[in-house]
Amino acid sequence: MRCRTPLSMQRIRLLSARMATASVLSLVCTFTLLGQEVPPKSEPVFQVTPLHGVDFTLRNSPTSRKYLIETMSGGVALLDYNNDGLLDIFLVNAGRMRDPMINPFRFDRHEPAYWNRLYRQNKDGSFADVTEQAGLGNAGDTNYGMGVAVGDYDNDGYPDIYVTNFGKNILYHNNGDGTFTDVTAKAGVAAGGWSVSAGFFDYDNDGKLDLFVTRYLDWSIEKSKTCGNEQAPMYCPPGEFPAVANILYHNRGDGTFEDVSVPSGIAAKKGHGLGVAFADYDGDGYTDIFVANDVTNQFLFHNNGNGTFTETALDAGAALTNDGKMLSGMGVAFQDYDNDGLPDVLVTQLPHQPYVVYHNEGHGAFSAQELESGFGALSGKVSGWGVGLEDFDNDGWKDAFVAQGHVFDNVESYDSSLSYREPPLLAMNRNGHFERGDAGSNVPVAGRGAAFGDLNNDGWIDVVTTSLGDHPQFYLNRGGKAHWLTITLHGTKSNRDGFGARVQIGKQVRFATAAGSYLSSNDKRLHFGLGSVECVTVEIRWPSGIHQTVKGVKADQFIVVQESAQP
Amino acid sequence: MIVSALWICLLLQPQGGEAAVPPDALAQLQAGIDAEKHRDLDTAITAYRQATELAPGSGIAFLRLGNAFMSKRDYAQAIPPLKRALELSPSSVPAHQLLGFALLAQGYAAEAIPHLDFVHEYGALGIAQLQNGQAAEAIENLQKALVKNPSDPDLLYYLSRAGTALSSQSLDKLLSTFPNTARGHQAAAQNYFVLKMYPQAKKEYEQALALRGDLPGLRLELGQVYATGFEWDKAEELFRAEAKLQPGNAEAAYRLGDALLQQGKMKEAAAELKRSDSLHEDMSETLYALGRAEASSAPEDAERAFQRVIELEKGSPLAGQAYFALAGIHRKQGKTEQAAKEMEEYRRIQPLRARP
Repeated sequence: MRCRTPLSMQRIRLLSARMATASVLSLVCTFTLLGQEVPPKSEPVFQVTPLHGVDFTLRNSPTSRKYLIETMSGGVALLDYNNDGLLDIFLVNAGRMRDPMINPFRFDRHEPAYWNRLYRQNKDGSFADVTEQAGLGNAGDTNYGMGVAVGDYDNDGYPDIYVTNFGKNILYHNNGDGTFTDVTAKAGVAAGGWSVSAGFFDYDNDGKLDLFVTRYLDWSIEKSKTCGNEQAPMYCPPGEFPAVANILYHNRGDGTFEDVSVPSGIAAKKGHGLGVAFADYDGDGYTDIFVANDVTNQFLFHNNGNGTFTETALDAGAALTNDGKMLSGMGVAFQDYDNDGLPDVLVTQLPHQPYVVYHNEGHGAFSAQELESGFGALSGKVSGWGVGLEDFDNDGWKDAFVAQGHVFDNVESYDSSLSYREPPLLAMNRNGHFERGDAGSNVPVAGRGAAFGDLNNDGWIDVVTTSLGDHPQFYLNRGGKAHWLTITLHGTKSNRDGFGARVQIGKQVRFATAAGSYLSSNDKRLHFGLGSVECVTVEIRWPSGIHQTVKGVKADQFIVVQESAQP
Repeated sequence: MIVSALWICLLLQPQGGEAAVPPDALAQLQAGIDAEKHRDLDTAITAYRQATELAPGSGIAFLRLGNAFMSKRDYAQAIPPLKRALELSPSSVPAHQLLGFALLAQGYAAEAIPHLDFVHEYGALGIAQLQNGQAAEAIENLQKALVKNPSDPDLLYYLSRAGTALSSQSLDKLLSTFPNTARGHQAAAQNYFVLKMYPQAKKEYEQALALRGDLPGLRLELGQVYATGFEWDKAEELFRAEAKLQPGNAEAAYRLGDALLQQGKMKEAAAELKRSDSLHEDMSETLYALGRAEASSAPEDAERAFQRVIELEKGSPLAGQAYFALAGIHRKQGKTEQAAKEMEEYRRIQPLRARP
């Protein structure tokens, strides 16, 4: 391969910490590549370490009554809220529970110990708690915190934050000056009930981000039940409570949203929704939705391109396990793991069945390949929640990372082969087959949320996970010698974040999104591991329909690609 | 049914050596019989009781009184007159029979056994022996009873219980008498496995293996403990060793094939599952696993395996899974209509799973 074509400098600029010393010419490859696309077999070296300045504890307040919400919380977001090029961290807290809860039900979110927290990254890699000055402190005493979604819904160039709760959800508009304003009432996105994961995406390609919210159960403190027995009470399974429909909000573009769950067809299907992820699985140019459901068929909402969706999971082969059995879907990643250009689905779940990989076969069909992919040997007695398909060793193949921990905090008393606290799973992708990797820690935690991104801008993807009753865990990827490229999309006709764009380098494809995992929001930048390749061509299909090609891009840099004006 | 045998026709002829019944007592007996015909058991009991008072040496009167109580299912009241009837007529077959049933119904299994044995009531005798801890004898007599009534659910139930009890007794003896033998450790391991105490089960199996590494089945069982814990690599190692030890054992080949399948080693799994199929044909689980192993690499072979599962299983959940797997193969091949038909079959068999 020879990189000859000069780049359009107007459309690309460096963002990385290295940009001060990088010359503009270094963006252009003018030499013959020495290496071939043979992935090096290096594994990522995660260093699990506290981050200076992050002193968060996820306070879920478990009780003997086993209120189900206690075991489900823990969202985390990686976002650059102040556009300084450094990822910041937003952590969702849960709330105080009394044992038993007494009416009127309050979760004491006004107390700082139960606040959600925003940590701004400083230039030296330390973090500062800016929650109060950002106006993100009290999340409402009647709200028990769950998850977080991030997206620039008003296309002003600053990421906004949507927090899901048991209670009312909150939309925080980023004012661009380091502060946020609660605009929930105006926007009309409070929802109510029990919301879990959420994500911004543009389902109608109108250039404005819409919002999808998963809903778990028709549950309340009054309706709560305790299962198990007196000696060992346990959380009731979801089947004990009525299923509910998810919510789709359409962005009107004037700061308000319209609940289109019914006319869009989303509300026609009730389930036990937990994780949500987006991708265009059939290449029709419209973003589709995958919802991980707990002990219900998984949902694949096909975007019909006319404002409606059709739930097709069962007939598409993406609803059940390979044996036709239901799974306890928790977290979900929707990316192409085998480099065939088609987005696949990875769903994490409870023990006794492996995590399920739905391989995209093309023509709208999936096949469950939990065994073929290697997950049969990697999961089965573990419980997976937050999950990501990211290339941790930059070999050109997306690996998997899963935050793990059982639902029941006393599961050992029921089954000595299971554990409430579990170490995370790192599964390295070896040409489409996953093998166990070293996540850098075998310390068991009650893992829940997981967000993925390059925290220290070194070109290697890091991980932040949350765990109940504990501090977050930071898996800093110390990297290796393989090359990489990280792309920030700047939509002009499309939504500003470029969510829904299909970005291809060689055989690798990424679908632009911050959603996926469980309760969490990832670094919106698109990261590609390049192995030994030093120069690439980037092809982008924007949600607007514009196809854009950027040739001769040198590896090991951060670039911004602005949507071209013409197709 | 066993219980229905209670209501046999009673012999009313005086037994040998029994005193003659006076006419007034005979009249009471007749009154009792008439009342019984009209299902008036209380009147019958009153009449029979008067007959026993008028003819205290009449075994028939006591027998009729006992039988009337049996008809009322008042077994406690039936026992004393039946015992008296036997004192008066020690060889009375109906008295032995009724007393045996009455005692058994009241839980006096040991007392019931000689009476039931006397009249060769093998079914009830087997039940009494089972309750009395004589599992081996119970099995023998229940099997005899089943020769006459092969479809009796009560007999089948108690025979199954007797088998379990005999197994348990043998196991207890093994564990208490020979705890440090390979079989002792194996038996202990099996107990722990049933109780889901997997670490203890592993330890016992390992001790058994240390004592007798040549014992067939040990590695197969230990492998299953690891398989239960999804430790497929260790399970594979043990199943492989078992398959080497017993190359003709179809289960060992199946378990090895399944362990390979669970690890995504499809080609190796298919080979081992085919070998298992050749050793023992038409095992549904083996064929289903074979289908899964070949679904990607040899879809036509996989189809054949799944079709055979459907033929063998006829509407069972495994047949439903086979339809589901077939739909997956055809969906992947773009044969959407065929896949849709198979999904319909899947839904028909497993409607609740498919339609939450």
